[in-house]
Amino acid sequence: MSSHHLAGHFSVDDSARRIRNYRYAEERMMRVLGGWIALTPELPAKLLFGRHVWDCAQHADLWGRRLPELRAAAHESEPANDAMVAFTEMLESPEGPRQTLERIVGVYAVLKPHLVTVYARHLASTNAVYEPPTRRILTRCLEEERRHAAAGAIVLDRLARDAAGRARVADCARRLLAALEKAGGVTGDAPAPLVDPALLDVAPEIVAPDLVQVPPDFDPAALSADLASAVNDHRESLESGDAAGAAEWVEPGARDALSAAFAPLAGGITSTRVVGLAAIGRQQMVKLRIESPRAIGFVQLRWTQTTSGWRIAAGDLVSTEPVSAAP
Amino acid sequence: MDRPIAYDKLAREDRFVRMRAREVGELKVEQGLPPFPDLASRESIRERVHGIMVGELQAMEGAGRTVYDFPEAPWEFTLDMARQVWDESRHVETYLGLLEHLGGRVGEFPESTILWRCACAEDAAARVAGVNRGLEGLACDVFNQLIHIAQKIGDPIIEKSVDYVLADEITHVRMGSRWLNELTRGDAERRRKAIEFQETIDERFNLGGSRQDGHHEVVPISIAKEARKLAGFTDEEIERLIKSTQRSQVY
Repeated sequence: MSSHHLAGHFSVDDSARRIRNYRYAEERMMRVLGGWIALTPELPAKLLFGRHVWDCAQHADLWGRRLPELRAAAHESEPANDAMVAFTEMLESPEGPRQTLERIVGVYAVLKPHLVTVYARHLASTNAVYEPPTRRILTRCLEEERRHAAAGAIVLDRLARDAAGRARVADCARRLLAALEKAGGVTGDAPAPLVDPALLDVAPEIVAPDLVQVPPDFDPAALSADLASAVNDHRESLESGDAAGAAEWVEPGARDALSAAFAPLAGGITSTRVVGLAAIGRQQMVKLRIESPRAIGFVQLRWTQTTSGWRIAAGDLVSTEPVSAAP
Repeated sequence: MDRPIAYDKLAREDRFVRMRAREVGELKVEQGLPPFPDLASRESIRERVHGIMVGELQAMEGAGRTVYDFPEAPWEFTLDMARQVWDESRHVETYLGLLEHLGGRVGEFPESTILWRCACAEDAAARVAGVNRGLEGLACDVFNQLIHIAQKIGDPIIEKSVDYVLADEITHVRMGSRWLNELTRGDAERRRKAIEFQETIDERFNLGGSRQDGHHEVVPISIAKEARKLAGFTDEEIERLIKSTQRSQVY
């Protein structure tokens, strides 16, 4: 590009096309983050998505309102090509409760870092005399996307705790980047690398407002000593296959219903863990995670104080999943 | 992703215990306790705060689904819903903080999914009528009461933070009033159904009939008439709500 202060890189029409491409990416990201909130169990990820839906909406809005100033229709989103649509569909596809890592990777380790890269390059090539309206939007979006990506990286690091989790993250990022490369990035003509790590550094204090301090994990110490003792004895009976021993902790009127509830986990309970405790007045609902060779189930057992001490008054199997699906 | 998703796809960490509100209420009544927290003790306030916290979670999830489920809706509607997602995420954070302030923990009481079920209505107009005007209107009443209790017990942390949440809720009800009108313009049948859905919610989710017309000192939960007027409710709608509270079901 010429060094003349009025030299420019993109024509008005080129600029409008790129902006429609940006709007497509921001709008899709806004919608998918919004849709995922309900499908994502982990509070840190759920609240991360909740924080960023509005920022993405504003980015899409800013781009959409810039378009008529460039002789184009307002609020139009346009994917660069079919491969970009395919990339977006791939990014949106992980919707199972155990696919939070994949969801975070798609948006926070691939698309947002790519947008940071593309926005930074675009900003560097705009003319300071006649493109300030675009430059202002680019500056804002660049700064916020960079911050989002950094916040996502922190949450991802927190959730991908073991080697298997980290392998899933790497595999998913590789597949999505390959799909994005096929599209030529969000604009269809982005040169490699599609993600420039040098642009992604953000100071921790800048990222802090994007992260909600979530409470610590459930601590079984929340159970009172006498209830914990009863619950542990019941669990030991379950784990050792002592059906009669386990039944002794259940009120006689509830035994049949409870046996039916445990039936899908028949074939040997290998381990149990207390994962939740909720009070209903003086009664306590204890939630157990129960593993058997083929399935993992969650049961909610309502414990009540009787003249003989704590006993189970009722129980439900609230969900099961195959062992292969569980983390 | 499905549009809309099934109710039972609502995802939670394992620590949450999910139960039907009716069952929880019945179990408490069997123990000689009020079906809903009466705010007479710090523990009761904590239980109410926990209930609001999960309600805010579901409100965030519901607004997020509305952003996703209606790509053909007017852009400004989507913007309002996206803004609501952000507001609700701050409300969750606020109530998580209040729960900690009161010595509670996440999952300490069962979660019911009443709000979430309303947020799954298939029509966008029904969602804003039911959630934004019905349930967020109810939130105005409940938060107004919580602020009053906080003032009485001298707890400025609860008072200040809930007051900000209340201001947001009024904005959300106002959004609901605007979009109920705009989405149903020229479609009387759609409007009728949406308003009917809201009225069903007003009648059924009435905190066991404890929401009534009157001063805080006289009734358990006072209908926040001033907040509701600010949010765009007409005098006639408020009068209808007062009448409906006199024949409400216990939930």
